[in-house]
Amino acid sequence: MNLLALILLPPVLAALAILALRRALVALVLAGAGLSLAGAGMAAMTAWGGAAVTTTLPFLPGLAILLMADALTATIALMVATVAGLVLIYGLGYMAKDPERHRFFATMLFFVAAMQLLVLSGDWITLLAAWEMIGFASYLLIGFWHARAGVAEAATRAFLYTRSADLGLYIGAFVLIGAAGTSEISTTLATTGTPALIAGLLLLIAAMGKSAQVPMQDWLMRAMAGPTPVSALLHSATLVAAGAILLIRAAPMLPGGALLAIGIVGGATAVIAGLIALAERDLKRLLAASTASQYGLMLVAVGAGAPVAALLHLIAHAAIKSALFLGAGIFQHDRGSTDLEALSGAGRARPGMFAGFAIAALALAGIPPLAGFYSKDAIIAAALESPAAAWLVPLTLAGSVLTGAYMGRAMRVLWAGETGPRPAAIPLMAAGMGVLVLLAATLGQGFKPLEYLLEGGLPEIGLIVPLLGLGAGLSGLGLGWLFAPARLLGPLMAPARNGFAVAGGMDALILRPALALAAACAAFEARLLAAQIGMIRGLGLGIARLVERSDAALYAFSLWIGRQNLHLGARARLTDTNGIDALIFGLVARTIAAGARARRLQSGFIHRELALTFAGIALVTGVLLAAPYFL
Amino acid sequence: MPLLTLATFLPILGGLALMALPDRSARMAHGISIGVTGVTFLITLAIWSRGIVAGDFAQVEEVAWIPAIGAAYRLGLDGLSLPLVLLTSLLFLLSAIYSARIGERAASYVVLMLMLETASLGTFMALDGLLFYVFFEVSLVGMYFMIAGWGYEERQRAALMFFLYTLLGSLPLLLAIIGLYLGSGTFDMRAWIDAPPLTGLAAMLALIAMFITFAVKIPVFPVHTWLPAAHVQAPTAGSVILAGVMLKFGTYGLVRFALQMTPEAFAQAGQVILAFGVVAALYGAFAALAQSDLKKMIAYTSVNHMGYVVIGVAVAALSLDPGIRTIALDGATLQMVSHGLVTGALFFLVGMLQDRAHSREMSDFGGLLGRVPWLGWAFILSAFASLGLPGLAHFPAEFQIFLATLNAAPWAIVAILAIVVTAGLYLRAIAAVFLGPANEKWADMPDLDRREKLAVVPLLILTILVGVAPGWLIGMIHTTMAALSF
Repeated sequence: MNLLALILLPPVLAALAILALRRALVALVLAGAGLSLAGAGMAAMTAWGGAAVTTTLPFLPGLAILLMADALTATIALMVATVAGLVLIYGLGYMAKDPERHRFFATMLFFVAAMQLLVLSGDWITLLAAWEMIGFASYLLIGFWHARAGVAEAATRAFLYTRSADLGLYIGAFVLIGAAGTSEISTTLATTGTPALIAGLLLLIAAMGKSAQVPMQDWLMRAMAGPTPVSALLHSATLVAAGAILLIRAAPMLPGGALLAIGIVGGATAVIAGLIALAERDLKRLLAASTASQYGLMLVAVGAGAPVAALLHLIAHAAIKSALFLGAGIFQHDRGSTDLEALSGAGRARPGMFAGFAIAALALAGIPPLAGFYSKDAIIAAALESPAAAWLVPLTLAGSVLTGAYMGRAMRVLWAGETGPRPAAIPLMAAGMGVLVLLAATLGQGFKPLEYLLEGGLPEIGLIVPLLGLGAGLSGLGLGWLFAPARLLGPLMAPARNGFAVAGGMDALILRPALALAAACAAFEARLLAAQIGMIRGLGLGIARLVERSDAALYAFSLWIGRQNLHLGARARLTDTNGIDALIFGLVARTIAAGARARRLQSGFIHRELALTFAGIALVTGVLLAAPYFL
Repeated sequence: MPLLTLATFLPILGGLALMALPDRSARMAHGISIGVTGVTFLITLAIWSRGIVAGDFAQVEEVAWIPAIGAAYRLGLDGLSLPLVLLTSLLFLLSAIYSARIGERAASYVVLMLMLETASLGTFMALDGLLFYVFFEVSLVGMYFMIAGWGYEERQRAALMFFLYTLLGSLPLLLAIIGLYLGSGTFDMRAWIDAPPLTGLAAMLALIAMFITFAVKIPVFPVHTWLPAAHVQAPTAGSVILAGVMLKFGTYGLVRFALQMTPEAFAQAGQVILAFGVVAALYGAFAALAQSDLKKMIAYTSVNHMGYVVIGVAVAALSLDPGIRTIALDGATLQMVSHGLVTGALFFLVGMLQDRAHSREMSDFGGLLGRVPWLGWAFILSAFASLGLPGLAHFPAEFQIFLATLNAAPWAIVAILAIVVTAGLYLRAIAAVFLGPANEKWADMPDLDRREKLAVVPLLILTILVGVAPGWLIGMIHTTMAALSF
């Protein structure tokens, strides 16, 4: 319990303290992130030792909140806390002069807490809640510079894309809870048969939204409207990671059909997003497309039945991509833009930073002995052993070639060109990035023991796999360094620039029909209202006729109501409001007097009670209608 | 001490006292208003502390009224009504605080509000069919004058439409009540619940009559059209009470009367009622998406949110699994409270915006977040609560409703599409009003003052509290719902 609280509470408390105090920003950020990291480290030690840390909190009757740090979730939590801590340190430098930096760091810390809640969730409700909370936090962070044009749209789009896909998680969770009778994830993973297949496909939809898989990749590129530390944290190692984490955790339950679907979605994304990245003109958008592509490779691993390979690539990618984004942010700082043309030569002006960027880029391309080499080999090996190898292997290798190509191109642009004036020193930003580069370079050495701890059972990596991986990476790097994207892509260049938006993209397929339906509802609404006003008039007359037949005494009175209703629209406008005081006080006085008389009228005969009730209601209506003439 | 009676009639007594006073200045009127609603709120807290019991009504207060026909003055509470009573007394207190700026005919305004509070509390606590009907109808009169006297441009027309619509709508309930009486010889609602007096065709007719009345009140498509018209014209506090309290008469009645008193007929008609709920939820969301008037948009989201309640109640009637039934009814009841808190806050905030700008059109604003951060962040928080963000009040309720729906009537899960539509419409409203480049027209718009914060911050705190730790609220609901036999 205490360890889990230590992971989750410090970021929340630090965020609240920052908003309340508006000072001691650096100390609070470091305390919040540092304590959380310490908690994650200790939880990982405990869990690796074989003792899962769990706790239960009350929420709804029969549906409690369950938090759990076992070997898998504690490892991810440690990864999240590490990357978050380094990005926050970098952010202290990056955002130092922003007048709203308090809001920035409070939101970042809230995001980190929500992400850790997602990682540590042991039941579906907590997972779903955290899943949506990180969506909300990312909305706030992408929209951080909310007064700038286009930012609101990017934030709105990111939230709506992911929320649409979240329906998959909602319904998938309902299916699993209904089938198992409990919301505990570990128990529901024993589900088999049709419910497991349906739930698996629904979870895939949710993961596609969060991990920006084809055809829902578009929001991620646009989400670059936020500050760079946001991209480094959310769009590389955490928010986007949620989709992969979900599938890794659900993997024990997934039947063959769901696995095949996951593998093909991932493989297609690895290639398509890779092509988009190669065609990009903006460094941050290039990295975003690359993120979608790398998560595609992780889905391939899950689909190939090797979730541990996906986890290794998740961890390697977290360090690599955060480092790349932080590097992009430094170059952006120098040149005031992330447009590739504007960044030409920005790397040569800062050789140290460029070296860091290049190490991370080579790691992503899968060059030994950097981290990406090991994780990518694990994915290729898994794809080779999969029953769907004929699909997955070509897609994986094509994705790897493209990874090399777009990273080669990015390095080329940053290196070739004018250096410009000498940039200023940036200690905090450099420190954050440096540690991440170091991790990107060395993490691979820890993968063997980690596999053992997770009891992963990865396929043997012989000689063929490293050769395939290395060949793909090197050939990609060479192509990207030597040739312009237009020459490499040929006729694919234009659709890739366009993000492969089929038939007008999601806007044309979903957004516009939804708005058209809304407009149709509004038009129908106006007609319905007119028809009902007519009906109320008609009903007034109808009641009058009914009473005419049954009770002659009420005839005149009711018909009068009916007639009044016909004219009510016109008369209502004439009412003078100034006399309402008198009316109310008069009405109250009369009501009290009437109450005394009413007692004598209560005879116990139903028909008389009914008639009196109706007369009473009619009287009130009459008073209301007549009011305009007496005021 | 008869706390229930005290809470019910203290407001109207306060109103009568105000009328008797020689000094009916605005200051005096609002002082009395806040004082009386405040004390009433404290009394309801005391009622809460006395607690409820499983499987029966608690704290029953009974006085003979018309023994010849078995009508009596009967008040009591269970886990369905107690949360609504607390919500009612809170929203009236906050409305009184918010309304303290009203100078125009303040004394009349306060008397009407206090009368409405008596009628609302009475409706939720009445255990006698006739008494319920009286309270139910009196609330109409109060709201009519509220809209007609203190509303906006088209108030007379909207008020009259509201009145006639809901008046005609409530006549079928009277027939049903008489039917229940003829079947049992008493107006005691407890007797009607313990041994439903009608069976077969009579029960089905009574159910149809009750459903018409409550469908108008909830409101359910296609009899919801009065709601946007009334909301747009109603004064801010009127909108808060209308959405926060009076719509719950409909859903409360749906459970208390339709489900509990004609359970067999309800189960038979369950799929039809479920379909009404699903259509209302989806139609309300899409109609809201088409609005450019903020107040109208929120009014239509009420149709959507109350549609979820109807879905929950219908699912409970359809399901044979007691666990799923309880989840559905827990969720439906919690949704009533959540809607009161969140929509109450939203109507307050739009009212505050309208007080400043005299406009409710989204396109008239832009970039206000930097200008009025309190108003902006409060709106963003409430909007995300309304679109069902976890950690805020609607999530636990909607989660339970949809969970039960998928496992009892899977086709109805299509209603969950509405949560994406509501997300879209709220994000669009936030972007249009609060984000983007600042509109110079509002460069000197003031942020919330102390009175306004006092009215809205308690609702925001409760919205978070219900979302993060709903146990204190769902506990009392669950006590009753788990023991409900129907």
